[in-house]
Amino acid sequence: MLTSELIRPRLRIRGSALHVEMVNEHDPFLQQTAQDLICLFQHYQGQSHAAWEAALRAYEGTRLDYVFMRGLGKVLADSATFTPLMTPHPPLILRERTFAYGPVFEKPDMFHPTTRQEALQGIADGFGLSIAEHDEMLYADRHASHRLTDAGPAWTPVELLARYNLELARGALYWASHLTIEVSSNYKDLWKFIKLFKLMFWAQPMQGGGYRIDLDGPISPFVTSTLRYGRQLAAFLPALLLCERWQMHAYVRPPQAKGETIYRLDHTCSLRSHFKSSGVFDSRLEEDFASEFEQKMGGKRGHWRLTRESEVLLLGDTVMVPDFVLTDTKDEKRRILIELVGFWHPNYLRRKVEKVRAANCTHLLLLVYKGLNVTEEAFQDTASQVIFFQEKPVLKEVIEIIEAMAERVYGPRQKPERIRAKQRKPKHSRIEDDTIAASDLE
Amino acid sequence: MNASVFFQGGTLVLYQTDDNERVPTPFQFVKSRWRCEAYRYHTVLPWMQEQGIRNAVPRWPRLALELHDTREPHEYQVQALDAWKQANGRGSIVLPTGAGKTLAATHAIRHVNSSAVVLVPTTSLVYQWYALLTNVFQTEIGVYYGGEKRVLPLTVTTYHSAGDLIAEYGNAFKLFICDEVHHLPAKTWGEAALMAPAPFRLGLTATYPDEHEQTGERWRLDELIGPIVYTQRLETLLGKQLAEYRTQRVRVDLTKEERARYEAAHAIYMGFVRERGLQRTHGAGWMRELMRLSTVDQDARRAWLARRQILNLLDSCQGKFAALEALLQEHAGERILVFTESNEVAYKISRQYLVPVISHETSVAERKYILDAFQTGHYSVIITSKVLNEGVDVPEAKVAIVLGGGASKREYLQRLGRILRKKEPLEAVLIEVLVRNTIEEGKVQRRYVAREDC
Repeated sequence: MLTSELIRPRLRIRGSALHVEMVNEHDPFLQQTAQDLICLFQHYQGQSHAAWEAALRAYEGTRLDYVFMRGLGKVLADSATFTPLMTPHPPLILRERTFAYGPVFEKPDMFHPTTRQEALQGIADGFGLSIAEHDEMLYADRHASHRLTDAGPAWTPVELLARYNLELARGALYWASHLTIEVSSNYKDLWKFIKLFKLMFWAQPMQGGGYRIDLDGPISPFVTSTLRYGRQLAAFLPALLLCERWQMHAYVRPPQAKGETIYRLDHTCSLRSHFKSSGVFDSRLEEDFASEFEQKMGGKRGHWRLTRESEVLLLGDTVMVPDFVLTDTKDEKRRILIELVGFWHPNYLRRKVEKVRAANCTHLLLLVYKGLNVTEEAFQDTASQVIFFQEKPVLKEVIEIIEAMAERVYGPRQKPERIRAKQRKPKHSRIEDDTIAASDLE
Repeated sequence: MNASVFFQGGTLVLYQTDDNERVPTPFQFVKSRWRCEAYRYHTVLPWMQEQGIRNAVPRWPRLALELHDTREPHEYQVQALDAWKQANGRGSIVLPTGAGKTLAATHAIRHVNSSAVVLVPTTSLVYQWYALLTNVFQTEIGVYYGGEKRVLPLTVTTYHSAGDLIAEYGNAFKLFICDEVHHLPAKTWGEAALMAPAPFRLGLTATYPDEHEQTGERWRLDELIGPIVYTQRLETLLGKQLAEYRTQRVRVDLTKEERARYEAAHAIYMGFVRERGLQRTHGAGWMRELMRLSTVDQDARRAWLARRQILNLLDSCQGKFAALEALLQEHAGERILVFTESNEVAYKISRQYLVPVISHETSVAERKYILDAFQTGHYSVIITSKVLNEGVDVPEAKVAIVLGGGASKREYLQRLGRILRKKEPLEAVLIEVLVRNTIEEGKVQRRYVAREDC
């Protein structure tokens, strides 16, 4: 992320609104600058960090947009790798030995009979180095001496400018005390990142779906707009960009503003996330369950539609995002949540059981792997239904339970189709076959 | 289930209580629960006990600490500690730099005999406290800062990292010690004190902030730490606990070529500042305004670059190095500390004279090696930029050479204090090297004013 002095000059305050002066990714002049810097950076492959910094300063010259150029430089350096020069002797040892001779002077006097040159020659000889090598290695472990060994991704000018814009938006949040977001899709990633960045949230469902989420930290209510969580909020921002439809407003106190300002962004902005969306299934188990369901119960074959992680259970100060939601295609109100509890660490499982118990949720079905060190009693006092399985959940059994749950929670179905679906006995043997075939889950 | 109070991320949270029940004022009903800042712990404790509310806050262990310290506390240290105990273990002790504040702190830890966290402004002080506490208590000491995070019953952290430490482990410490406590009112640094439930609190400083220095910030020290419980001024200790000192100024000239470059750059820089009347229109904030203008105005950009040129020139002009060389030779055999304005110059001097540098880049292990070697006399010179600015104990140093240097009163006092630590009845000397007829002379003038009221 950029340093704050690279952000500050690009913030504009109009009334109570905060704007970030982003760059036009398609401006040919800026693209040329980006291209120059990408080339310059490549050119410094193998050279020191200090040398690159000096080159960047030289390129800046007297240009006024030096804040922009340094920002690009920082993005380049942050995604590259600098490593210390390999030396036959650790620099620390070189220093210990060398400084035993100091202070030394060019000309000898009564107290310092050995000249600098003689001392240096002696030290270098002792290590089997030339004086020049000794000089180069003496501080090889300083960050400024580290060599650029990997220049990072092959940036195009447009990509570099786009990433710079993202970093500017993040930077505005360094001085944020509080973030309010509204999202209507792709929650799982969001909760994951909220947790990852140790933020505290307060979510409320919105009319018409989605959630309104307030983000800050535990001490926030007591410290008028603490900036303690600003870095975390900035780090979190790319996670929000992973959602399809969202908007946010942040309460920001940039140093140059008199009071609080509001920074707004929504999904129509051109920013792109560099975070990976989890997209793919969390585990093979879920993937297999989903594909089997699709194959056997999908489309016209049943009346349930399976969607992934589209619902959130709010449990006080934590959340649970069940793996699947089954929605009755004929009656959308009839929904059953499914959580697969697969091969997990016991600690994770303990937390999960706690969550389930707290959820007190009658339309939640838990599919629990029996190999886990979890006894059936652990789930005894949960309001949710539990099925234990050996290798993988038996789809037929799952569907039967779901039908029963739906009837219990929502009452009898209106359409008579359900009875026909339930009576398809011959499928049984085929499911058994699949069970054996899919035993390579580990 | 009975009502109970928990610690969460720097706050106290009340669980399972009847909504109708009267909850005392520090608690506020926020996000569906009664909550308050953790530092209120000592004020809400009597209420909790009275109501029979389960107290799930303290996670601080009772320790069996023993002082393995041969130094007997001086009388004023004993008095300071007594005053602190009298104040129920809450408040600040104000002693001059070098008068042994840390000794008072170790006795306070022993008195509380439970876990303690020490907040310090710099990583170099993290190291110093780490070494001190290790020696005094002969037990493992934790550190928590940018470079290393290991939490133990006695842990040293920086103000910068303290917020994160306290958010997670706040209720693991019964005693909260702030070294150089004058830093605490600063905007974010005070939050750690706010988030810690520790009922015992101790502030240490040589320069307790004046009332006006605390206004404009969020917190007052009295509220977070407690009142000043003991004060001892520099003059009363001088010559008793501290070595005598004198200051000396060495003025050097720029070479002809340097002077020409200086005057050219100065003309651009000050020409712009005067032409625009920046000092008149923006008062103390005129430098910031110049910086802002330098991104939009070509003349301002040139003036800004000219200023950088001036600072670089003064920092590394030939005269200063010649003076430094003469001083190093003159004081041969004595332990010398050299302060530079920039890291770059510190490393340059290191390479030129083959003497060690301590900078913010220096690792804990190497720092220890250098300071130990300085103490034994294996090294006689240490170069440092800003790192040794606060409270680092280098009692052997009897000569301090300041090349350039900031103008602030506090920084000057701290530098002075360092070479005054009592070791032997030797006179200490602080030598300032400055360039004649340049902006540097103004800085020193301000510093001498500062000396009179120290």
